[in-house]
Amino acid sequence: MKLISEFSKGFIKENPVFVMALGLCPTLAVTSSVQNAIGMGLAATFVLVCSNLIISIIKKLIPDKIRIPSYIVVIASFVTIVDMVMNAYFPAIHKNLGLFIPLIVVNCIILGRAEAFASKNNVIKSIADGLGMGLGFTLALIVIGGIREVLGAGQFLGHPILPATYKPVLVAILAPGAFIVMGLLMGLMNKFKK
Amino acid sequence: MKYYLRLGIVLLVIAIVSSGILAYINSFTRPIIEENQKRAKAEARKEVLPVATDFDSISFFNDETVYVGVDSIGNQVGYTFVASLYGYSSLVKTMVGLTPELKINKIKIIEQKETPGLGANSEKTEFQEQFSGKNIKELTVDKDGGNIISITGATITTRTVTNSIRSGIEMMTELTGFGIQEDKQEEQE
Amino acid sequence: MEFISKIFALAVAAIFVQNFVLMRFLGLCPYIGVSKKLDSALGMGMAVIFVMTMASTFTWLIQTYLLIPLKIDFLQTIAFILTIASLVQLVEMIIQKTAPSLHKALGVYLPLITTNCAVLGVAILNINNKLSFIEAILNGLFAGVGFTLVLVLMAGIREKLDKAEIPKAMKGMPIAMIVAGCMALAFLGFSGLKI
Repeated sequence: MKLISEFSKGFIKENPVFVMALGLCPTLAVTSSVQNAIGMGLAATFVLVCSNLIISIIKKLIPDKIRIPSYIVVIASFVTIVDMVMNAYFPAIHKNLGLFIPLIVVNCIILGRAEAFASKNNVIKSIADGLGMGLGFTLALIVIGGIREVLGAGQFLGHPILPATYKPVLVAILAPGAFIVMGLLMGLMNKFKK
Repeated sequence: MKYYLRLGIVLLVIAIVSSGILAYINSFTRPIIEENQKRAKAEARKEVLPVATDFDSISFFNDETVYVGVDSIGNQVGYTFVASLYGYSSLVKTMVGLTPELKINKIKIIEQKETPGLGANSEKTEFQEQFSGKNIKELTVDKDGGNIISITGATITTRTVTNSIRSGIEMMTELTGFGIQEDKQEEQE
Repeated sequence: MEFISKIFALAVAAIFVQNFVLMRFLGLCPYIGVSKKLDSALGMGMAVIFVMTMASTFTWLIQTYLLIPLKIDFLQTIAFILTIASLVQLVEMIIQKTAPSLHKALGVYLPLITTNCAVLGVAILNINNKLSFIEAILNGLFAGVGFTLVLVLMAGIREKLDKAEIPKAMKGMPIAMIVAGCMALAFLGFSGLKI
């Protein structure tokens, strides 16, 4: 049962975006549409699970002094794999996510979990942690992306869901909107945690 | 000393193993990626010059091949080139199809990362349609006194597309020599 | 003269029109984390400017003279991030020796420059936008300046906010985000600027 809690903590209690404020850069950048949010979330989850897996396997072999650069190489490799595979098989999403795919490398969530969890726990637990955190991240992205896409373009996943008379609040899908929606959601989260 | 050597070796081993795996994956994804890109361009060419059944390369412009389109009998039915200019936040690339008289047949924006909701709306049909049938003299944005209707809130992107196409047609005029004779005649009259 | 105006255009673009933090969303974690006090914000900013400029230099050279000729540009992410990690180590050692008080103030945020997406971001952007060597170095420099500018502005605002009455749920991160949003709104006004 402990395994389930390792997995589910990433969703609400220790949600990487809303609670731990990690991985902010891609969160604000790719949430202008739900489709991009899902693409980024799943890509990051893949990298997170794989890197947690590998790092938890080789953790005993890595001298402490070079653990950060080693983790980075492992993470960077998986990111490159995701980049190449996405470019070949999902070129449209790859184009939309653009710069932020290689930037998964410096997504503090991944390095953070490698350092805080995978380097200290066994393989099964590390996979559960990675999966939970990754999906929690994806969930957060979808929530933010949903709000921004509905307000800013009257659509969800490209389908118009608000009446045509709705004048989109353009700023929601622009930079300022990202920050403001984020701030309000975080405030809301704080309110509910009390 | 031995300690640092061990550090270096571990890091090196990790780097080599990773590079090896990546090189392997690269070997089969790279051809797919290149194939995708080639196919996308070929489709764009066909879209802006549908009357052509074949394309022969005749030159280079903006690192992209300039083609002359031929029909099934072998007549030259137009040209295609890629207009390219840095816009507000990205390089904007437009596939342009020209008639043999260097009038725009159709355009298709093939690459842009402009602002969503503003410059990115340049990919909408309504915006791109207005270019069809225009010649080089009619390629000015309304804000600069011309007839090209700019996208609301995205004048820079509009200008970028318009100006990049105009310089492309200038290049085509030099390349084909079309219209230069007529201009010379007009000057003499 | 033409060269100077080109540099000026590059600077305006990197600092204002396409500000790395408020427009490109790069460099957010340290932006939120270090902007609480003005002097640590300034110190962090200087360190970031240095790292971004050096990173732009070395990554450009590595891309042009190593990755492309050997056709291993798929190793770009790994090569770049290792270069950046080494540079940050170097900067950390230098600061430790020359300004130990600054080193203490920056604390854990200094090694975190490695994961500052702005640094890796500018390195990749230099390549994607096909900048020349000099342009890449300058772009790194100006991007760092833009980051520092926004960081210092934010620190100034947050120091004042600390003394204001804010609803409990909004204290800390939420209000910082809203402030960033207002700043982003202001910077959006630069979007029509073309030199």
